[in-house]
Amino acid sequence: MSEPSVTRPRRWDKPFSLEAGSENEMTDTDVEELLQLTPFCQIDSSGFKRSLSLQEILKNDARIVGFDDGDIIVRRGDWGSSAFLILSGNVRVELERGESSLPDEILGRRHRRMKTLWESFSQLWRNHREAEVREVAEVSGARPAMNTRLTRGRTRIYLQEVSAVLDKYRTARLEPGHWFGELAALGRTSRVATVFSEGVSQLLEIRWQGIRDILRYDTHGGLKSYIEDAFRERALASFLRTDPLFQECSTELMQRIVEQAEFYTFGNYDSSRPFKELNSNPLRITETGEPVIIREGETPRGIVMIRSGLARISQRYYQGRRTVGYLSPGQVFGLEVIQSGMKASVSQPCQTQLSAIGHLNVVVIPKELVEEILEQQNTTGNNAVTEPPRLSPTCQTVKIDDEALLGQLIDRNYVQGTSLMVIDLDRCTRCDDCVRACATAHDNNPRFIRHGPVLNHFMVPSSCLHCVDPVCMIECPTGAIYRDLGQGDIVINDQTCIGCAQCASNCPFDAIRMVDIRDSRGNLIVDSKTHAPLTQATKCDLCIDQRTGPACERACPHDALFRVDMQDAVQVEEVFAR
Amino acid sequence: MIQQLIQYRIRVISFLVLVTLTLSVFWLYSLTLSKTAFASGILLLCCILFLAAYQWRKKLSFLSLGTATVWLQFHIFVGLMSSLLFLMHIGFRVPDGMLEFALFLTYCFVFLSGVLGWLLSRIIPYRLLSRGEQVIYERIPIYYRKVREAVEQLVSENLKTDEENAVADFYQKNLREFFSGPRNQLRHILHSRRHRHQLTQQVSQILPYLEEREQEAMKQIAVQIQLKDDLDYQRSLQSVLKTWLFVHVPLTWTLILFALFHTITVCAFASTSG
Ligand code: SF4
Ligand code: SF4
Repeated sequence: MSEPSVTRPRRWDKPFSLEAGSENEMTDTDVEELLQLTPFCQIDSSGFKRSLSLQEILKNDARIVGFDDGDIIVRRGDWGSSAFLILSGNVRVELERGESSLPDEILGRRHRRMKTLWESFSQLWRNHREAEVREVAEVSGARPAMNTRLTRGRTRIYLQEVSAVLDKYRTARLEPGHWFGELAALGRTSRVATVFSEGVSQLLEIRWQGIRDILRYDTHGGLKSYIEDAFRERALASFLRTDPLFQECSTELMQRIVEQAEFYTFGNYDSSRPFKELNSNPLRITETGEPVIIREGETPRGIVMIRSGLARISQRYYQGRRTVGYLSPGQVFGLEVIQSGMKASVSQPCQTQLSAIGHLNVVVIPKELVEEILEQQNTTGNNAVTEPPRLSPTCQTVKIDDEALLGQLIDRNYVQGTSLMVIDLDRCTRCDDCVRACATAHDNNPRFIRHGPVLNHFMVPSSCLHCVDPVCMIECPTGAIYRDLGQGDIVINDQTCIGCAQCASNCPFDAIRMVDIRDSRGNLIVDSKTHAPLTQATKCDLCIDQRTGPACERACPHDALFRVDMQDAVQVEEVFAR
Repeated sequence: MIQQLIQYRIRVISFLVLVTLTLSVFWLYSLTLSKTAFASGILLLCCILFLAAYQWRKKLSFLSLGTATVWLQFHIFVGLMSSLLFLMHIGFRVPDGMLEFALFLTYCFVFLSGVLGWLLSRIIPYRLLSRGEQVIYERIPIYYRKVREAVEQLVSENLKTDEENAVADFYQKNLREFFSGPRNQLRHILHSRRHRHQLTQQVSQILPYLEEREQEAMKQIAVQIQLKDDLDYQRSLQSVLKTWLFVHVPLTWTLILFALFHTITVCAFASTSG
């Protein structure tokens, strides 16, 4: 047999400090210096494998980056896969949320403007005949979309008037030794605040793989407790208050809950691979390899609240298990069991089993504290022990009568969708009015194909689902694909999309298409140096700039096409019961 | 679901109220001894224009004009109401003038094609789901080509140097025609499976006379026959839905032209009072 001509790439073939955006390669001296600093000096390095030592992790998964005054380090809403430790200088973090936070324009985001009535109407004749027409000025950078400058060999977005920003918006100063960004990196959520450099600063950036390994092998658990404490201190109380159970909790009790809550992580964080495997192998028994959180028949130690990811609820069925529901972020498992235990004055076993689908972060609130909340609610006249709690649709377990269909929706990972497109084939007359409406709303380029897997009488066409956990965003180098903060949709900014196709290859549903772009005369736009045609990523944007919302849904005359938020129990049940 | 049902009921009730109101206004008007034909004619013309506007609404999906579902429901309601108005307008008898008779016939065709379309849009989706892969109409020729190539590949793999080319002969005689394009359209529309049964039988009849390798190829060809037939089925039923619109829409425009001409002539030559 001949020798293979290529060698399989390995994790550290290209250290983080040699990737685009880095300044200097990490040296052994840098690593030694880092090891003197907190929290690395508190980490027990004896627990690490020889091939995966703490030194190697820092050398290969971390880099030192410098920032100038006003440089934006992370942007609210972006998907981050790394955390930062401030080594020198100061950074500022914005404190306000919503209306009063830093506006999108100064953060270099495209201002999404709703089309005016006239603009909407004129689409009828102003849409281009050619496919995928773009304004050359926008994609060539002739009209910069944001304040960018070349800092230390890297193009960065920056705030022009730092002092004005400090005067106008509420921010807090973070000093050397402080970590940030670790919750978003490990919890696979978007950055909750914008952080920018105040003066010149130097930061250590660690990618999530490195943090994951340090957490795994550090027997003292220094970093783990640091991250947990940060979550406890900064976000846990407000996260818990999103559930009605905790809304009326007294401050003292909430304080104890925050102190005693436990955090667990299950499953594999690795980008989109698990979903892709599931999708390419629909026959795979989904129970295989799913870590179990609470077994059927076990008495729960407390309630489980999902922080990020999805969890399956299943029940024994003859010799196997069948899926009876699933939970998404913010939803709770085990409350009814504790309630019925209180009613019967003896602990009850769980009738169902909870397991992690892919990567899952949960918070467990000990049973005694839950009982205390229920008793407190009882004394205030809520009868919480005997009555099931009043839950908002987003807090309920998602269930469908047809369990086989539910199983398929989970196995194909459609439960990720916050706006899953579903066509009821019993009603669809294949008229394609939906596709035509989509094309009209997008300069004559339809953003979905009316074709896809058929589950019972429901077709799930090839269209963006607007996932809860959008893996497409993880590796976008320019942040061109982002979650619109107003509506939560995942959209692509044509002005910053460089056509690298990372998002398209990460999307497990093949919902992103790379297209060659053209000028208004129909000529391909080519790179001025290489003369290669320029490509850009395209996908459904839920008609974000149209006055009426998703055109496809409104255009279907037979009420056959609908968008479902798979996290909304009531909507899911209604839609799939038709 | 419940909300949808409630909304639907509200729409039906509002439609019934609308019909009752229209008819009572019409009746009251007739009490004044005015010429009711004029009033019913104007109303009818308005209905027809509203019905035709549905086609325009489809093009304006990005304006806040209500969803296409609601428009379709009102299209059906108003269509039904127009038939009542039409009967009253013609005084429940077939008109005798040339233009009037042409107008009468066109209205009847438009109305009946509308009812037929409504029925088809209810029945065909169920039937489409019952057989074969769900394919996009425009892509069916690509699938046809793939199936034909697969079969021709099987046939060519079984070509022998001597004259006894059983598989190729069978293909030439019984299958070439079948695989060359859409077939048995009417049978599919009528839901008949006779042709499929016949082809399957022909395949099983030849099997005992073939070598083992040829038998295997023939079995695979039989699978492709089913695939092709399912594609024919999808194509036939989908083309019914598409062709229907090509009848209903041009007829509507013809009706509008006739109706406008009729209105102008009537207004020019008749008085509106008793
Ligand atoms: S929501 Fe808009 S962009 Fe998305 S598929 Fe529907 S019409 Fe197309
Ligand atoms: S508009 Fe509705 S009925 Fe027509 S193809 Fe789309 S989903 Fe089917």
